Amino acid sequence: MESTDNNRSIGLAKKSYVRLAQGKQSGLLIALLSVCTYFAITEPIFATWGNVTNIVSSNSSVLILAIGATFVILIGQLDLSAAAAAAASGVAMGLALESAAPTVVAVVLPIAVGVAIGLINGALIAWAKISFLVVTLGTMSILMTIALVPSDGHTISVFGFAGFGPIASFVNSGVGPFPVLMLFDVLLVALAIVVLRFTKFGRSVFAIGSNIEAARLNGIHVTRMIISVYVLAGMTAGMASIVQVGRLTGASPAVDMTQLMTVIAAVLIGGTAFSGGEGGVLGTVLGVVFLSVVQNGVTLSEVSSFWQGAINGCILIAAVGLGSLRGSGGRLGPRRRGGRRGRIRA
Amino acid sequence: MSEGSGSLTMDEKQKPAFIRVRGICKSFPGVQVLDDVSLDLHRGEIRGLTGENGSGKSTLAKILTGLYQPEAGSIEIDGKEVLLKGPASAASYGIIAVSQELTLAPELTVAENICLGQLPRKKLGTVDWQRCRLIARDVLARLNLEIDEQAIVGKLPIELRQAVEIARALSRNAKLLILDEATSSLSEAATDRLLTIVEEMRDKDAAILMITHRMPELYRSASRATVLRDGKVVDTVALPATSESTLVRLMVGREVGDYYGARTSAPGDVVMRVRGLDTDGGVLGGASFDLRRGEILGIAGLVGSGKSELALAIAGAIPSTGSIEVAGRQLKDRSPRGALAAGIGYVPDDRKAAAILPRRSVVENFALGWMDNVSRYGFMRVREERRRVNEASADYGVRALSEAVPIALLSGGNQQKVVVGRTFGRAECNIFVLHEPTRGIDVAAKSELYKLVQAEVDAGAAVIVVSSELPELLGLADRILVFHRGRVHAEFAAGQVDEETLAAVAVSGTDSGMDLAREGEAMWADITDGASPSLR
Repeated sequence: MESTDNNRSIGLAKKSYVRLAQGKQSGLLIALLSVCTYFAITEPIFATWGNVTNIVSSNSSVLILAIGATFVILIGQLDLSAAAAAAASGVAMGLALESAAPTVVAVVLPIAVGVAIGLINGALIAWAKISFLVVTLGTMSILMTIALVPSDGHTISVFGFAGFGPIASFVNSGVGPFPVLMLFDVLLVALAIVVLRFTKFGRSVFAIGSNIEAARLNGIHVTRMIISVYVLAGMTAGMASIVQVGRLTGASPAVDMTQLMTVIAAVLIGGTAFSGGEGGVLGTVLGVVFLSVVQNGVTLSEVSSFWQGAINGCILIAAVGLGSLRGSGGRLGPRRRGGRRGRIRA
Repeated sequence: MSEGSGSLTMDEKQKPAFIRVRGICKSFPGVQVLDDVSLDLHRGEIRGLTGENGSGKSTLAKILTGLYQPEAGSIEIDGKEVLLKGPASAASYGIIAVSQELTLAPELTVAENICLGQLPRKKLGTVDWQRCRLIARDVLARLNLEIDEQAIVGKLPIELRQAVEIARALSRNAKLLILDEATSSLSEAATDRLLTIVEEMRDKDAAILMITHRMPELYRSASRATVLRDGKVVDTVALPATSESTLVRLMVGREVGDYYGARTSAPGDVVMRVRGLDTDGGVLGGASFDLRRGEILGIAGLVGSGKSELALAIAGAIPSTGSIEVAGRQLKDRSPRGALAAGIGYVPDDRKAAAILPRRSVVENFALGWMDNVSRYGFMRVREERRRVNEASADYGVRALSEAVPIALLSGGNQQKVVVGRTFGRAECNIFVLHEPTRGIDVAAKSELYKLVQAEVDAGAAVIVVSSELPELLGLADRILVFHRGRVHAEFAAGQVDEETLAAVAVSGTDSGMDLAREGEAMWADITDGASPSLR
């Protein structure tokens, strides 16, 4: 463990630690490659560019939501209202388009709705000190109902409205062989990585998730940070709703609960610790890609889509279970009271 | 390696040992934790087992209680080789351990806890609760403990809980009692009480292995001490014949030199004025004092005297009222942010719960306190951060595999150096509140920390050390304030006071220390678990 010769041992250990860090995702990467290889062999359509762009476009909204969810889970919390917020934002967008609002409004409004929802979540959690599970379960339930009211539960079709044209062409067009959505996703992921790794905000997110009291005592504005993280999550819900409405040319007020499950599962599969303070966006991307590829492959193999949830559940348990078996999460994590402590040597 | 036989008298050699440990080896991936450790323990003996953190003390205890299996070596009890497969099997040979982490069920009563695992039965197989209570009452009486056997364990103060653990060990006819840092969370008075109990058990012919790095306890109770270093037995020495400095040298492997370090500077102008400081709930009630530049102010007091709350209140960790004046300006924002902005840095008492980010790297742990200094427009200046961390890491003597490893993998002493280094490294701070700064770290690391504190004060800082370790206060402080019932009760200048007087004043609440015994008994009843509940 300890060495008296500081400099030399640091050089040595840096390499082994980098290896170890890569090891966290290497299992998932190997699994992803194996699954891709399998489907590429069994399903000829799978490995075509068309299919790849299809996977990307149809899972773009999940990825966007998962980026927001990664921040929330990194501070050691959970936003159960993510999918409901996306549905509500989508309805707001649909209503705006229906009443002949211009494109700008149709884009800004759902994001504003998402931000407002995040603000409410965050304020109730950080200021009123209500448990995040209670708050987000509550807002989820409220939003699910509110979203149904304006259209009486029917999908609002936005096809043909003047404001929708530019949105549709943005969501469905491409630059060369690359769909615009793919480029947008890459940009968003890169932005999130930079924020997490290289900004005070990102460091504070990790600090709060790792030890909220230490964060507070070191002068991090914990309440403001928690609210900001939920606002960020709400913002991603707004963006996801734009993508969704753009692709489906309609705003469905029905909340897709499997979407919420997929989002949370992807973050956890990607190696972000449920207890917070450990993980990142790159892992989440891998998690989303993995689940999307499996879903796509299973659909191509003509297995009933009813099985998708069961498959996702198995993947989630296997991935997170294997991760903690390997000990990376368990050994350093907080132990139950009375359990033996995670000291290396005592 | 055999025990240092020089200190064994002929008499002890002739008596057959109760337990003989021979050539125990144990390694964890990459570390040889125990290397050919041998040890003989006799009935009616209290043996100290000491050494720095990571020297293998607790691992040996875990092997003796069957929690770990050794890779080589043998254990003999009364001349017969035994295999300790687990705690139950160790208990069947009369080996019971009491550790700092309590293993009692907090929801159950004292009697239920004492009998747990060996509940007396009636004929039909139902539990004989009446006999269970009798057994408990009997054991408690043997230990002179006035604890209601029907009390819920979770509601007892922590030292009484520790006493219940020992009672449980006694009820199992412990032939070898292992105390693994069992006093680390206890106040002085509670420790005293427990040592008395342990000495009584020794007189009833039990063998006791006392693992501790608290010197006063060793010198009081143990007749010999075995010193471990890097997993090897260095020597076994007779106590109290061996001097403390020799013992420390054996533990550390070299001369520690001047243990507390020294300063050249003298106290200057007043930098902080505290007047009538109160906290909610009234633990702190009207504390007033001044702090000077270049001064170390020691704060002593029992658990519940308000010394913890004082540290927390000044650091802004808990709400407080009353006046805190820093450099002539009133401190209005009583939050950690406000305290930091006024230049008050804080090192918390509970490293795990309030200071470190266990899963994050050493770099991030250092930089947690410096984010404003190593960022621009919200972006971290990664290279600058790295450079400063490397520098601080060297300055504070942090020994880690690398600065990229999670801090939880470092020893307690090294974690504390990071925490102290982070706090001292804050550009805006020149007043520091160190709350139990050396809790749970070993002798060598303590000495290093003391010298770092002295150097910081020499550089113009003002430091408040709140500690329950009196020698530490006596060795460091220019002035010592004794807290009692939430206010400053007595003040002593350095060199004016010794440990006994300080302890007496803290307990009795009188300057003379008179009627100490009677007051001490009364105090016993008020002592409560002082693990700052407001933090959780």
